[in-house]
Amino acid sequence: MLFNGVRAAAIARPRVGVKNEMEPTMPVSLRESVELVSDPRNLDASVEEVFQLMLGVSCRRDAGPVVQEQESVTAVVGFGGLLSGACVFSCGASAALKIAGHLTGMEFQEIDDTVKDGIGEICNMLAGAWKGKVPDLAANCGLSVPAPEFQLRHAYRFADTSFAVTIVCDGLQ
Amino acid sequence: MNEIRTLIVDDSSVMRKIVERSLRQAGLDLAVVHEAGSGTEGLDLLKAKQVDLIMSDINMPSMDGLEFLRQIRAQNLAPGVPVVMITTESSEEHVKQAILAGAQGYIRKPFTAEQVKERVLPLLNAA
Repeated sequence: MLFNGVRAAAIARPRVGVKNEMEPTMPVSLRESVELVSDPRNLDASVEEVFQLMLGVSCRRDAGPVVQEQESVTAVVGFGGLLSGACVFSCGASAALKIAGHLTGMEFQEIDDTVKDGIGEICNMLAGAWKGKVPDLAANCGLSVPAPEFQLRHAYRFADTSFAVTIVCDGLQ
Repeated sequence: MNEIRTLIVDDSSVMRKIVERSLRQAGLDLAVVHEAGSGTEGLDLLKAKQVDLIMSDINMPSMDGLEFLRQIRAQNLAPGVPVVMITTESSEEHVKQAILAGAQGYIRKPFTAEQVKERVLPLLNAA
């Protein structure tokens, strides 16, 4: 498995701007937003939005398992602050080549740094789009509340290509 | 406005190319495109090159886009040159921070070339 190290580093650093006097008042918990956070339609809408706008392809959730390939690419973008967790994007090599091709308008024959960079950016935009659908998360401040791990994992498909998106949270209460 | 000299700052080389492509699709005649992978690289470029437009990501390692913008203003680099921030962060707070740091425009990823056109062209026409 190839791992996108650049985006993996996001786990270790909060993806938020420099703190200053403009820092908004911190919500105490995500209790009022739990339904929004766990609503699978938010993830579906985020995936559809990113793929439509950036790749120009229509994408829908797929009930079936993601086709497993020997070579795969995984990108991870961490959430810091009020919610602690990560958006994980994984796909087989053939899907990665197609996604990077649509994203850049270039043709790729192998998983190189540009392909991995492109998959990292897709993951980054998915995480941002998903987070932006929950007002408390969009503001992105506060402390995580320890809770059992929560995971949303869906497979999606466009044309004859499939991939999976997983949202992992460790503080949903 | 003809023959725009642009600086695109993003730690992702793919995103730099996408931003460049979107600017061209928006109808801009890009004479020169300088690319920087971090705020630090961007500052070095601005000390050596003249540009008409700066497009910058916010979430970057070593020096993020907001600090890059503050440094541009503090060092009086590229005076009068519009800076547009491009980021996945979309909260009002992030927009406020960008404006306070001196940004004239804010584009949320994912974006379309049409959105780039709507945000960037008025800034160039006003400059």
